[in-house]
Parts: sequence; C-alpha cells; structure tokens
Amino acid sequence: MATSKLQALWNHPAGPKTIHFWAPTFKWGISIANIADFQKPPETLSYPQQIVITGTGLVWSRYSTVITPKNWNLFSVSLGMAVTGIYQLTRKIKHDYVYEANSIVAKE
Amino acid sequence: MATSRFQAFLNSPIGPKTTHFWGPIANWGFVAAGLVDMQKPPEMISGNMSSAMCVYSALFMRFAWMVQPRNYLLLACHASNETVQLYQLSRWARAQGYLSSKKEEEKPSQ
Repeated sequence: MATSKLQALWNHPAGPKTIHFWAPTFKWGISIANIADFQKPPETLSYPQQIVITGTGLVWSRYSTVITPKNWNLFSVSLGMAVTGIYQLTRKIKHDYVYEANSIVAKE
Repeated sequence: MATSRFQAFLNSPIGPKTTHFWGPIANWGFVAAGLVDMQKPPEMISGNMSSAMCVYSALFMRFAWMVQPRNYLLLACHASNETVQLYQLSRWARAQGYLSSKKEEEKPSQ
C-alpha cells in the first residue's frame, strides 16, 4: 500500500521526475529570501520588487489551477510568496509614512 | 482580416481572458522592477532575492516550455528576468567585494 502510493507519487505527471515539481519547489527560494530579508531595515526594500512579488503571487495562485497538469505545489508557493510580499510592503509603508506622521506629531 | 485575427487572439485558450496570459504579464513586472532597481545603488540590492530570482527564472524557462498549453510569453519573460537578475547579482557581488580579487591582482601588474 505505502509502496504503491509512493510509486504513484513518483510517477505523477507533476511529480519529482518533472520540471512541474522542481520549478515551484525552487520558487520557494523567493519566499525564503524575502523571509531572510525580514531582518534587514525597511530602507533597503524595493517597492517595485515587493509589489511584483505580491501581484505575481496572487495571479499565479490562479494560473497554477488552470494549467495541465494542475499544480498545487505551484499554488501554495505562489500564495506564500504573496503573503511575504504583503508583509514586506506593510513594513516599508509603515516605515515611510507612519514614521513621517509621527515626526510631524512630534514637531507640533 | 485584422478584426478576425484580433478576435481569434481574444478567444484563444491562451488569450487575455485566461491566466495563461495574465500570469506571464504579471511576471514581466519582475523584469520591470529589476530595470527600475538598476537605477539604485548596489547597497540597496538584496543578494538573497537576486540569487533566488536567478535560480527561479532558470527553472521556469524549462517549466514554461513543458507546461500545457506551452507558454512562449512566459518563456520570454523568464529569459529576460534571468538576464536582469544576473546583472543585479553581479552589481551586488561587486559592491560586496566578492569580485575584488581581480582588482587586487590587477594592481600589482599595473
């Protein structure tokens, strides 16, 4: 039973013998890189890059369900990417605008 | 002729009514973002992100070729992104001093 399940997984049209498995798996590297960058100051964040990470994450969550073979690995990594992108954007926006508002209040 | 061709494009199974079209379009944003970031100083570049992007685009060039329906727009997009991100990575590496051994070697010979 377990053996046949593993074999089914191994031979799946989107399984580890194919690029359909490895491309999304390495796409996690983008989310991991973003998570690693959580430690860096918000000044170093790039608005265009993070907006694109969020946008493509969301669009690709949809795309992964309409391609053949359907790719849930790609779905989950795209969603993860969107989440990390949104977090990074909130950090930067908070830093750029809330900080500014605070300094204005401090001056008053 | 032009009208019917445009309509064929609109109604294509990989046309603008589907994410087979919009997925790659969104990904071109990476290329655009990379181009914008080229204007910034190397200190602003994230080595983590540029490295991850290079690996990602290399694998997705293959993915774009193999997925059904085949996605040429996506293939072109990732080839472009690979180029942009490799350039960004080289700028970052140079700024970090990883390529400075060449310069140090060059100095004595001068």
